[in-house]
Amino acid sequence: MAAQDRLISNKPTGAEPTTPVPLRPIPLLRVDGLSVSYGPHEVVTNVGFELGRGESLALIGESGSGKSTIACALLRLLPSGGRATGRVAFEGQEVLGISERGFRPLRGRAIGFVPQDPANSLNPVRTVGAQAQEAAALLDEPDKAIRKQLILETFAEVGLDNPQRIYDSYPHQLSGGMLQRVLIGLAILPRPALLIADEPTSALDVTIQKRILDLLTRLQHDLKISLLLITHDLAIAAERADALVVLKDGVIQEAGRTASVFSSPASAYARKLRADVPSLNPDRYAALRDTRFGTLKTGDGTAPKIEVSAVTKTFTVDGKTLTAVDNLTFAVPAGTTHALVGESGSGKTTAVRLLLGLEQPDSGTISVASEQITGRSPEALRSVWRHLQLVYQNPFTSLDPTWTIERLVREPLDRFRIGTRKERDEQVHEALADVGLGEYLLSRKPAALSGGQRQRVAIARSLVLKPDVIVLDEPTSALDVSVQADIVEVLLSLQANLGLTYVFVSHDLALVRQLAHTVSVMHRGRIVEHGTVTEIFDNPRQPYTRSLLASIPSGVANAAQAPRPLLMAAAE
Amino acid sequence: MTLASFSSASRVTTISRLTALRVPPTVALSFAVIAFVIAWSLAPDLFTSQSPIVGVPAEKLLSPNTAHWFGTDHLGRDLYTRVVYGTASSVTSALIAVAIAAVIGGLIGLLAGFLGGWVDIVLARLVDVLLAIPNFLLAVIVVTAIGFDTTNAAIATGISAVAVFARVMRSEVIKTRQAVFVEAAFLMGGSRWHILLRHVLPNASRSVLPLAVLQFGLSILVIASLAFLGYGDPPPASDWGLLISIGKDYLKWPWLVYAPAFVTIATVLSVNRISRWLRKTD
Amino acid sequence: MSHAYLAYAAKRLAQAFVVILLAYVLTFVVVSILPGDPITNVLRDPQNGFTEDEIKAIIAAQGLDQPIPVQLWTSLSHFVIGDLGLSMRSNRPVATLIAEVLPSTLILASAAFAIALLLAVTIAYGTQFVPKRLGQGLLRGFPSLFLSVPNFVIGLVLIHVFGFQLGLFRVIAPNSFWATFFAAVALGIPVSARIAEVLIANLDKESEQEYAAVARGRGLTEMRLFAKHLLKPSSLPVVTVIALAIGELLGGSLITETVFGRTGIGSLVQRSVSTQDLPVLQAVVSLAAVVFVLVNLIADLVYPLLDPRISLIGGRRVRPTAADDSAAATPAAVTS
Repeated sequence: MAAQDRLISNKPTGAEPTTPVPLRPIPLLRVDGLSVSYGPHEVVTNVGFELGRGESLALIGESGSGKSTIACALLRLLPSGGRATGRVAFEGQEVLGISERGFRPLRGRAIGFVPQDPANSLNPVRTVGAQAQEAAALLDEPDKAIRKQLILETFAEVGLDNPQRIYDSYPHQLSGGMLQRVLIGLAILPRPALLIADEPTSALDVTIQKRILDLLTRLQHDLKISLLLITHDLAIAAERADALVVLKDGVIQEAGRTASVFSSPASAYARKLRADVPSLNPDRYAALRDTRFGTLKTGDGTAPKIEVSAVTKTFTVDGKTLTAVDNLTFAVPAGTTHALVGESGSGKTTAVRLLLGLEQPDSGTISVASEQITGRSPEALRSVWRHLQLVYQNPFTSLDPTWTIERLVREPLDRFRIGTRKERDEQVHEALADVGLGEYLLSRKPAALSGGQRQRVAIARSLVLKPDVIVLDEPTSALDVSVQADIVEVLLSLQANLGLTYVFVSHDLALVRQLAHTVSVMHRGRIVEHGTVTEIFDNPRQPYTRSLLASIPSGVANAAQAPRPLLMAAAE
Repeated sequence: MTLASFSSASRVTTISRLTALRVPPTVALSFAVIAFVIAWSLAPDLFTSQSPIVGVPAEKLLSPNTAHWFGTDHLGRDLYTRVVYGTASSVTSALIAVAIAAVIGGLIGLLAGFLGGWVDIVLARLVDVLLAIPNFLLAVIVVTAIGFDTTNAAIATGISAVAVFARVMRSEVIKTRQAVFVEAAFLMGGSRWHILLRHVLPNASRSVLPLAVLQFGLSILVIASLAFLGYGDPPPASDWGLLISIGKDYLKWPWLVYAPAFVTIATVLSVNRISRWLRKTD
Repeated sequence: MSHAYLAYAAKRLAQAFVVILLAYVLTFVVVSILPGDPITNVLRDPQNGFTEDEIKAIIAAQGLDQPIPVQLWTSLSHFVIGDLGLSMRSNRPVATLIAEVLPSTLILASAAFAIALLLAVTIAYGTQFVPKRLGQGLLRGFPSLFLSVPNFVIGLVLIHVFGFQLGLFRVIAPNSFWATFFAAVALGIPVSARIAEVLIANLDKESEQEYAAVARGRGLTEMRLFAKHLLKPSSLPVVTVIALAIGELLGGSLITETVFGRTGIGSLVQRSVSTQDLPVLQAVVSLAAVVFVLVNLIADLVYPLLDPRISLIGGRRVRPTAADDSAAATPAAVTS
């Protein structure tokens, strides 16, 4: 513990920053008593850590934790109005207080930056090559042709197949994964000593996430770059970094070597965070999930609640025919959760819309609770929606911002004319209580609620009609992991109490494992594999399923990563 | 001593209340200007005791002084009084113009955006046509067609601005119609009309409000320009544009132009500032 | 020139043609509902001194004895082949009347346009380089101020200050260089405000984009960032605003010409309004619509060539949003 304290200063708020002990070798980056404020609001408070050469360190936190603000402060790219105080030493030189002119040579050349959202991180009206030349300009190489050669080599180094084509492309012509490789390439091109990666994979599909992270780890070791990884995902951080710093509301909760923080977190917050990450706790809700499942085994003779058979849907885009869903077939027994898993473009969103009758299939049939969905007019669908509801992915767009919470939850009752005025009021209160929201929220508008509260309102709206079936379209993907855990718990207790049937659509296999009974894995519009959760997760037969499972971060550094030369450890 | 501390304390609370509402000082000032303009138009006699029509020939063309803040005109009438009495007509006509533009334009945009299909195609062409004729020229021929007076000038100004509202409303409606919460309302059993009136209209209107405020300022300018060309009420009316128009023949006595121009500019500037603030706080 | 582009251009061209025809019809309808009878108002006005035979000839020539739809059809079919008809007051071809005054208005409008563009660019790009404490806010206030001043007031102020006080030009010589210059300034200032407003908004938006932050992280100076990254995407949409500005110049010239005592399209319209010379009004308004539609058409045709993001599908402009394999499903985690 004492050794750890020397490595990473973790001072409580208000403590005086101590002067560094000049006995050890100077770390590449030393942050001391860093605070960032916007006007009167302090968003980062007294943060300190050290990063040695060739080492990696992860800043972990949920939204609002200040982790990205720290990255901006280190690069001195805080938005206007932001003010950073404290000390940041890069290679022993104080950089927070020096002039912009004095700092600029470090940016790009000594400190590289990999952004969060590759789709918006390159200028859309300039070619990739033109922007790569800017990064190459930081090399002391006067010949443009040689610079271009270096760029193409770097593109190859980050795993881009056809460097010349990439060089000539505009950003919108490349996929997100390719763009992130380009951006990593631009960042490492001038051979910086430090690479700051701000959520480098959160906008990417899971299988691509893993490849990008592997690339970063490989480059870090091959090029002896120090990596400051900023992430919300504890499992990813633990897998990729030598040391962890856990942040909440701009204050360090816990910091230290990965092994100790991850396996035996000391602070309450880090413990909760660890417990909430689905991939680290596959059986967390097993008891709750299986409350009724014991009596409802698949294929016990009763008719399934949902039956989808041989459903195909094509769209015509730009004159090309695109098969969004191809021969989709599955059945869900009453009172269970069936998960549709897939990456973007797998057809899962189309499947949801077909299931609700919002789109009509080209062929095949869908029935829910023995009522045919396919071939119904919108008017005829209304009676089905009385029993079949949808919870949308993003609670920030699925609630009308001009309505109060009470009106929103009452709306389905009013529309379907259920009960008397008084009964409706009671049902609204009941539904809110069911999802764990206080009545004080009734008169508020969605903007006054947090993301988690909004998603609870959305669930309450679906619930108030007392439906049998709820389709959940990535209901937690817009939410923080701790909020996700709360929502999952709400959903599972509702199922246990009311016997609801869920169709749960997700890209997150770890989450699916926690709450589903049966799973269909979708890839390019087809179901490639289906079965019970145990079958799919313990014994996957298809290579695609296996690659999906392999990309779940486990929190343990995998074999692909080279052994780390622990400079810090050597110093001890 | 006690009084001083008391008043400073009350000022502090006013300022802190303003900051709590996040009203920037320039916006507060703009609201103050508008409040004055409204007061002038509602009760001009509270702000001046002189007559806007009968002058004192002996006091003609006096430069601004304590008795005549804006000086006097060629008939010896107090210019400040003329400006105050002209406010009602200038403000009302701008309101008429905005009301016409917002209601007709809003309706066209709402129908085009919500119904889509051939209704949208027909209305979109109509809007294109209205946009194709330069705004001011359109206002001029419309006012020529329906006759020269201030109310007609206001109607013409309103018609010339219909296209702007139709365009904004249409794009807002289309944006809202595609919003997830609209589909959600549909799944909750909402009918087309319920969704149109309760979800689409309130949301789409939110961005029409700042536009209407902005258009109010623009209408003051357009109506003033029409008055300047002589297409409004004739003297002795004292619309701001008319006052400036009269003043242009007496440029040796520049306050006859500058004073009413200053009031016009201050009003429009305030309105524009409020509009920008509304857009930002939305 | 790809097939898709040609299809797009053809569609735009057809639309432009339809809009022009409809604008003509709309103007005709508005002008036809003028109260009173132009025959009695204008032709029988003793000041014009037409004889009864001349009046009959004019009525026949103008087709005023026909029902309105027939009149519309005749006039529209003449308009399409470029025949603008005869003035009711002077019985001269409208085209000649317009041709006489057009050069003066063209000079004024193009000078005003140049001034507007120069002013707008100076203000907008200036906001990017003038630091906050050295009056950036003042610079940002200009467009708003310019938009709040009636353009005849700008004209009167310029006449008062530069004509009367400084004696730089004389109002009785409206075609002198300085008189034209100041008329152009008066006409150009409100237009510059519109362009500057859009430019500033675009520049602010672009400089807050993620790619700008990433480029700064690549070590670019603000100057290079501006020149290489922000300039093009923020200036591209201005092409559309410029097209709109042309319409405003045409409308504004009505006022400016009156203030500065110039002859031109504006004064022609004024005179036609007061004498209810319908064919002239009809022609000027329709020509203004033609100019406006053509300038917009050019802007629409040029724009896709300048912006690489825009692809043309089925004669429509489509801007792709997200690349295919970035999970659209996963926005950044949000506060709870």
